[in-house]
Amino acid sequence: MKTKSLYPYYLIWPALFVYCVFFVLPALIGLFYSFTDWRLDRETLKFIGWDNFKQIFSDKTLVLALKNTFIFAIVTVIGKNVLGIALAIGLNMRLKSKNLLRAIFYSPSILSVLVISIVFTPMLRTDGTINKFLEAIGLGVFGQSWLTDPSIVIWTVALVSIWQHTGFQMAIYLAGLQSISKEYYEAATIDGAGAWSTFSKITLPLLLPAININLMLTLIGGLKVFSEVFVLTGGGPGNASQVVGTIILRAFGEGSWGMGTAINTLLFAAVTVISIPLLIFMRRKEVAE
Amino acid sequence: MNHKMKKVATGVIASLLALSLAACGSNSNSPAGTASNGGSSSGSKVTLELAISKSSQDSAFVAQDLLDAFEKETNIKVNLQLLPAEQTATVLQTKLAVDETPDIIQYNLASAVTDLNLERNFEILDSEPWVSRLLNKDVLSANDHVYSFHVSQDTGMQGVVYNKDMFKELNLSIPTTFEEFLAVCEAIKASGVTPVFMPFKDNWAANIWPAAAFADYAAKNDPTLFDELNSNKKKWTDIPEFANLLDQQYQVFKKGYTNPDILSDSYDMAVGKFLDKEVAMMFMGDWLIENVAEKDPSIHLGLFAIPSSKDASLGASPLGGQLFIPKKAKHMAEAKKFLEFIASKEQAQKIVDSQGYVSNFNDVTTPKLPDYKQEIVDNYITPKKTVLTTDAHMLVDRSELYRNLQDQFAGAKTPEEVLSAWNDKFAQLMKDKGVAGF
Repeated sequence: MKTKSLYPYYLIWPALFVYCVFFVLPALIGLFYSFTDWRLDRETLKFIGWDNFKQIFSDKTLVLALKNTFIFAIVTVIGKNVLGIALAIGLNMRLKSKNLLRAIFYSPSILSVLVISIVFTPMLRTDGTINKFLEAIGLGVFGQSWLTDPSIVIWTVALVSIWQHTGFQMAIYLAGLQSISKEYYEAATIDGAGAWSTFSKITLPLLLPAININLMLTLIGGLKVFSEVFVLTGGGPGNASQVVGTIILRAFGEGSWGMGTAINTLLFAAVTVISIPLLIFMRRKEVAE
Repeated sequence: MNHKMKKVATGVIASLLALSLAACGSNSNSPAGTASNGGSSSGSKVTLELAISKSSQDSAFVAQDLLDAFEKETNIKVNLQLLPAEQTATVLQTKLAVDETPDIIQYNLASAVTDLNLERNFEILDSEPWVSRLLNKDVLSANDHVYSFHVSQDTGMQGVVYNKDMFKELNLSIPTTFEEFLAVCEAIKASGVTPVFMPFKDNWAANIWPAAAFADYAAKNDPTLFDELNSNKKKWTDIPEFANLLDQQYQVFKKGYTNPDILSDSYDMAVGKFLDKEVAMMFMGDWLIENVAEKDPSIHLGLFAIPSSKDASLGASPLGGQLFIPKKAKHMAEAKKFLEFIASKEQAQKIVDSQGYVSNFNDVTTPKLPDYKQEIVDNYITPKKTVLTTDAHMLVDRSELYRNLQDQFAGAKTPEEVLSAWNDKFAQLMKDKGVAGF
């Protein structure tokens, strides 16, 4: 078969052009600006080397934002994937209502995050539904100022994000589960394997491609978090729930455009440095069926 | 997806694409081809682009009948660009930076100095014909030049908005000291009404008290204080009284005189709280009184000074909602004509009458003011007991101060820590801006 001539290579030019003009070029320009003192009220801009980056690490709020970003990323990666696998396995069984349940669990991920905030903000008030519910079942001591206590607010936002996106992860895991051949399970049953060893020896290894893609998606999404924090807390109270994404907005709002692009560059570098080695590592673990 | 579904989906996508193309087309052919100056004499119709925040869309300058009258007289159309409220500054900054300038912008003069680089981006209007008729040039000027346009000279006032009917019912008088204020709160609380509504989910709302209290302190004790702060001769942490003033507002909350969940309640709930008579007072600007009166004229609200010291002055914010013409406006002459049109005796009088403004033109008469405004004039403006709030003196973005204030109410910062954190940020922003002394 002449696979080589199926499509000529020049067909990628239009897409490559658009990609370069709207992504690569702005990214490079951004990289340049992050080494300048570009500001709202400057006529000219000056090359200032690493000054912006030095300032990032000496600013307490920015360090807090980095910490919050990592908390959010780690919590959501674990939450979305563990719950996503659990849901997928549950809904891969022979249940009468499985299509309905799949639709229900998937549905939050198609909602706009603004809608989510309008629903959750009143529920998460100190006198909101969630605390009232906890009180009603005798667990009032677990009631929290979910969105206004600086020490837990980032966790609350992470939980809302897990609630919203787990269904999406579930859908990918379901597809992964359904691509695993039934024969393995039949063989395992004949060999007398229990539920746990079936899961750990068959399901998990063969699900690795789906796990990889989900880990990458949730990790990159977690590090780039912006909208959940922006609509639920605006980075507040005070700066308690600032993440890198909202700090960039703050820097632009203050007119510190060079600083804003510098933080952006840092975020880009962090995402790259964390995700590419992880991707390579996880790829090696994948097994061929 | 079966074949039929695919066909339908393709059809939908194709028509969406076609729609978006059509939309682009109709946008791009409006102003570009028309004459850049000389105006309507060339015969082709000019369209002015006027950018305005969505939160100001009720501004009298963009009322449809005014725009229609202008179009009828001059054959110049005005197209509104409504900008999302939270992003107005960012969008305008971007538009100005990439030379995609609107012909006219509505903005607040004081914020234009800090956010939009007034001198670099905007046209000086000193020689416009309407300038000679102005009663109060200062409210439209910066650095001794007129940069903006408005028919009103009525600067907004900030203090304690209060329900006069409740005060009468409980036989309370306006407090003149902080202790008296706490006593008033106690009496209101005893009657079953929340004394003070604090919507501090919106962090700027936490700034009303300190902005007036700091300015009142400076005016009475240290008239050059803000100049010294702005030249780094003094630091925010150098004034111990500032911490006390911040603590006062916190005490009002701590003593239980407010809504319980202040960090969850937002400003947009305020009008409803007053309409439902759930609350008696709020630290806010007099625009709130107007907003409540629009919904229910039978509720009588008034304004008194933030009672941070004995006989404190009422906080005055700089005039807002002016019109500006960017230096790079594509239709400069037409934009100026638009200002001239609004400044005409007939149009200006119409606006001043309908809005209850204090007129800024010597040939336009001020109408009878609403009661609360007349009281402000009698009690504070005429006896000269007003003071420009702290924000009017600031050269840089204050949102970090607002966040620090919010932190104070989340229990994460003491008043001293608020001032010290703001002092650091302030110094850094002033240094970045290139202000001498930092």
